[in-house]
Amino acid sequence: MNCIQARDRFAELLDQRLDGPVSGEVRLHLAACPDCQRDFVSLRDTLAQLDALPAAKPGPRLRANFYAMLEDEQRSAAAPARASAPSRRHTPRWRWILSPLAACGLLALSFVAGQRSAPVATPVTVPVDAATQHELADLRKKVDSMGQLVGYSLLQRQPANERLKGILATQDLAAPGDRVLTQLISALALDPSTNVRLSALEALYPYADQEVVRAGVLASLTREQSPLVQVSMIDFLVAARDREAAPTLQQLVRADKVDRSVRDAAKRALVQL
Amino acid sequence: MATAALQTDHELMLAVRDGELAALGELFERHHGPLYGYLAKHTGDRLAAEDIVQTVFQRMLKYRHTYRDDGAFTAWMYHLARRCAADYFRKHHAAPVATDPTDLQAYADARPHAGDQAGASDDRAFLHSALNRLDRDDREILLLSRFQELSFAEIAGILECSVGAAKVRAHRALRELRDIYFQLQGEKLT
Ligand SMILES: [Zn+2]
Repeated sequence: MNCIQARDRFAELLDQRLDGPVSGEVRLHLAACPDCQRDFVSLRDTLAQLDALPAAKPGPRLRANFYAMLEDEQRSAAAPARASAPSRRHTPRWRWILSPLAACGLLALSFVAGQRSAPVATPVTVPVDAATQHELADLRKKVDSMGQLVGYSLLQRQPANERLKGILATQDLAAPGDRVLTQLISALALDPSTNVRLSALEALYPYADQEVVRAGVLASLTREQSPLVQVSMIDFLVAARDREAAPTLQQLVRADKVDRSVRDAAKRALVQL
Repeated sequence: MATAALQTDHELMLAVRDGELAALGELFERHHGPLYGYLAKHTGDRLAAEDIVQTVFQRMLKYRHTYRDDGAFTAWMYHLARRCAADYFRKHHAAPVATDPTDLQAYADARPHAGDQAGASDDRAFLHSALNRLDRDDREILLLSRFQELSFAEIAGILECSVGAAKVRAHRALRELRDIYFQLQGEKLT
């Protein structure tokens, strides 16, 4: 056995799972060859160091997020029993989209689901069942209490230019998954930077044909503080031909506190829709 | 669930598959720590590792119907983790930052015993750095082979290659790591 053959077999000496019949021969060569001894010892030391690397511990966020996700899945697994209720028309799709949100600690976006389902239910004569109503109220409550927290956690994670980079990166994706869309909608609804929110909106344009995206923009519209972003959102909804935006736009037109430019944009949008 | 603690991973996952979703809680408690440790080392990004762990467990629920009667839970989990990590790397084109000083600091500080010598924590920081500089596939197989209770047959299954190839790749990755590690230590000395 020469050095090359011996060194190829060192794995078997270093890992008892691999212990094979050849290792006796390797040991013989090793005992007589100082070069191979050096090679072997350095590999063994590296492995020892690798094994000694301390294991990183996850933060408390992980467990909390996991159980929130599990609960959400359990609820949605139990949901088909009431699936015939008209107010739940959008629910399965929403659930799917929203579960990764819970994962990010962004439960707040459940708000979007609440907002979206409610107007859909009103024109229908069948009343919303009590359980659904309770759930929607619950979602809204969660949003109110979590709004600040969410903004904070987003802020904490990365500086604004990094968040922006993340959003720009999504534009390179040929077919972004629901998770990416969810992140974009989250950024649009919750990111403290106007720049990031505008970029998120722009990144969402190619997916305006998806209901979840339009609903996300619409829900963010009423929460949005910046008139500039609000007008851009209205443009988006017009471009997407989202008829379901009409009630929200009418509200904006009538709201005195809303910036003039936003009200004008909403008025124009209503005509175009 | 009082009985959950007595069930094997496989039994628990079969229960999840059959609709008892709560059983996933026990699997999470058993496995999220090591899985997180693996992903934190693999991505070099602790927050991303948390996100990926979450996604892995989410996918367990989503794809629970694909879990087989003769399945091996741990191998399946790492198989899912591998896919999720690949998604992560696709999104973050670049390899993890090799020498984030705060990370090195974190490892230098993570000494298990107060009596440890400073040199040992330096070595650890160098090794951590070397690990981050390793080619992604090399790092993956090396971590799988060292940190997890997996056989090479299972590792081969996770990586979708032959057992022989898995062994050879793991050993080659170790050599690569050794070279980078010693190079970093050499740079420090000069
Ligand atoms: Zn030799």
